[in-house]
Amino acid sequence: MTATALALLARRLLTALPIMLIVAALVFTVLRLLPADPLGMSLPPNASQADVAAMRAEMGFDRPIAAQFAIWLRHLAEGDLGTSIHFRRRVVTMILTALPTTLELVAAGLVLGIALGIVCGMAMFAWRGTLREQLVELGSTLVMSVPEFLWAILLILGIGVGLGLLPFIGRIDPQVTVPATTGFLLVDSLIALRPAAFLSVLAHLALPALALALALAPLIMRVLRSSLIDTYLEDYITLARLRGIGERRILWRHALKNAALPTLSLIGVQAGFMFGGTLLVEVIYAYPGLGSLMVDAVRNHDLPLIQGIALTDCVIVLAVNTSVDILYLVLNPKLRKQ
Amino acid sequence: MPPLLRRVLTEPRAVIGGVILLLVLFVALLAPALAPHDPAEQDLLRTLLPPAWLPGGDWDFPLGTDSLGRCTLSQLIFGARVAMIVAIAAASGAAILGTILALLAGYFGGAVDWLISRAVDIWMSFPPVVLSLIFMVGLGAGLANVILAIVIVDWTRFCRIVRSEVLAVAKRDYVPAARLVGFSHLQIIVKEILPAVTPLLLTLISIEMGIAVIVEAILSFVGLSVEPNVPAWGVMIADARQYMYQAEWGLILPVLGIFVTVLGANLLGDGLRRSLDPRLVRRVAA
Repeated sequence: MTATALALLARRLLTALPIMLIVAALVFTVLRLLPADPLGMSLPPNASQADVAAMRAEMGFDRPIAAQFAIWLRHLAEGDLGTSIHFRRRVVTMILTALPTTLELVAAGLVLGIALGIVCGMAMFAWRGTLREQLVELGSTLVMSVPEFLWAILLILGIGVGLGLLPFIGRIDPQVTVPATTGFLLVDSLIALRPAAFLSVLAHLALPALALALALAPLIMRVLRSSLIDTYLEDYITLARLRGIGERRILWRHALKNAALPTLSLIGVQAGFMFGGTLLVEVIYAYPGLGSLMVDAVRNHDLPLIQGIALTDCVIVLAVNTSVDILYLVLNPKLRKQ
Repeated sequence: MPPLLRRVLTEPRAVIGGVILLLVLFVALLAPALAPHDPAEQDLLRTLLPPAWLPGGDWDFPLGTDSLGRCTLSQLIFGARVAMIVAIAAASGAAILGTILALLAGYFGGAVDWLISRAVDIWMSFPPVVLSLIFMVGLGAGLANVILAIVIVDWTRFCRIVRSEVLAVAKRDYVPAARLVGFSHLQIIVKEILPAVTPLLLTLISIEMGIAVIVEAILSFVGLSVEPNVPAWGVMIADARQYMYQAEWGLILPVLGIFVTVLGANLLGDGLRRSLDPRLVRRVAA
């Protein structure tokens, strides 16, 4: 089993490189279509033509696209993604600072969304053929028609401003501090043994994570329900019933394990997409993550920063897909033999 | 009435979703006649008004005004235009591009299939919202560019699913039979395979309309969609967010506009899938 998993991992890594290269080239070319001058915002309005030309030459924008891309790749190989035009800071540093924030948020959103989805999916299956099932399904259709960033706004209006229950600006109360060790504030506050900080981080995480979870849960719920229905049509379930195994045991020991596989591949795809979903959620909750950084970069036409974040997103999605595929392989005995 | 159409019309989800979308379309088409004000007209003496039925409201502005004293109802009505244009044009564009590539990949197989499938893989290795954002940076603002960006990003949603359907259809007996009778490849694709994947395609187009409305709102929110003087729901949300403590209705109403439109698209898609997908019909019967 491990041998197959390792072979898959190796194959995935081999195909990931060309994909990343093509994505990087694609993004690079698209960004150079830009009608506006990316330097427009970083020069004073009274700059002379010579100043502009000098700056373009300094940034390398006067060369052909292929040459610019080659330079960018050579720097990438040295672990350098260039310098942000707008912030005048190294792109690698900026991304590494923002990344833990986004990873923490997405992880919380995933855990919450998967838990909600599984509970509702099993409830829907248990209530199949009843009015309750119809109601849950109607509810899920309504929930699904609100995208993440609108959930973010509605949750702020209802729970943040309306009820005043949870904070909705930033990652932590401004008067609480945590020494930065990993960048994951939940982990850092635990390491520093500061329960007050931990609770503050958790409270700040609640609403944005819920906004992400509400977009994911209905999808999981539906796929889990329909694969449970499919699984119960299989002969081995009937066989288990004939052998006198209790319904509860059939569900937990036999059906759920098999029904989980389609749900798992759905989660794989959606987990990657969630890094797109955090974009506006982070902006709305003033979360200093990769999404906020990307929106800032896009608003300022900050090409090196956009390019760097785009590559990071691609690496993350490929990593998520690969991990899910390996998990799938480990869980599914049919695939293991091939 | 053809039996398929009757099946769709007796599926409540499809009917309700279709009616909602038609209503939004109707509002968008008749916007100049329906809106009480010019959506750009400012009344700086009456800013951030609540809806008329609330204390402080004014029946001149049935749903209140924004921070510049613009009529919220008129902006919502004109915002439906951007939403519907993008929904219809982007969904059809993505469907056409994705389906053509899916037909080529699924029918011819081999190198064509390999190339198209790898392109899908590359597109899928990227969160779609981020990709459309990058395209908008490259293309610049404007309605046509929003539509183009959504088409270039979302054709994969069609291509992936339709391709596997084409693969299944191409194996059925009547396709080789048509070859034997002397049909050309083009005739087979257009006359035999395309009709077989049409029900699936209709479902996907309907769902994609909702996705397109959401993507446009996201791009508007960031300020990367239509030109600044065009009223759009996403722009309204971004503006109203700054005043949410004083005027929460300005935020709730455009959110509601997006919700209702996307709900209509999702219900229609769900209803079409239930009434048209033969596998699902069989399973419900079983």
